[in-house]
Amino acid sequence: MSVLPYAVAAWLFGIGLYGIATSRNFIHLVGCLGVCQSATYVLLLGLGYRWGSIAPIFYDHPPGTPAVDPVMQALVLTDIVVGATLTALLLVLTIQAYKRGGSLDPEKLRPMRAVGQSGRDRGSNRVGDGERKAS
Amino acid sequence: MTAILPLLFLFAAISGTAVVLVRDPARQVFAIAVNGLVLAILFDALQAPDVALSELAVGTAAVPLLFLVALMAVKTQPPEEDS
Repeated sequence: MSVLPYAVAAWLFGIGLYGIATSRNFIHLVGCLGVCQSATYVLLLGLGYRWGSIAPIFYDHPPGTPAVDPVMQALVLTDIVVGATLTALLLVLTIQAYKRGGSLDPEKLRPMRAVGQSGRDRGSNRVGDGERKAS
Repeated sequence: MTAILPLLFLFAAISGTAVVLVRDPARQVFAIAVNGLVLAILFDALQAPDVALSELAVGTAAVPLLFLVALMAVKTQPPEEDS
């Protein structure tokens, strides 16, 4: 039991990194980042857990009853809220990248340029993308 | 009672793996919702009911809805040509 939370957290982080590295779709990539974040939830709650303890709510227990660590639970609560915000921000950036670049594939993302500076260059790049997609 | 906690840890690992291995984003939304539900049950078994409630609201409802909104925006908005 003492090793299992750390093993599960390491596995979730590793499989999330694998998904980020091999993803061909930005929306799928954001979901893989969520898996990496869930590894931190499991790690923090596994650190604070004690066998045979109650939840840190002393409404119907006398004070002094062994309870799990409430500090870790506060940290995980903050982590969940920050994770939801990060997911929303990255999805908005994904939509903007799709509107600018025309693709959700990270491999096809071109560097951004100032609008109107090198329109001919962008046109040639787009033709090059089409050739690479056709071949 | 002592066997349910390792089982829930294993379920969390399996559902996280499923989120990564489902490559289609429209199907990945369901995997994300199931992963949030499994994590909520795991947190409740780890004596953290407030975290479980928050994960149930955020991970099972809010985040999949955000993914659905993003998928809908990508499908309905064509990429703008030379702006």
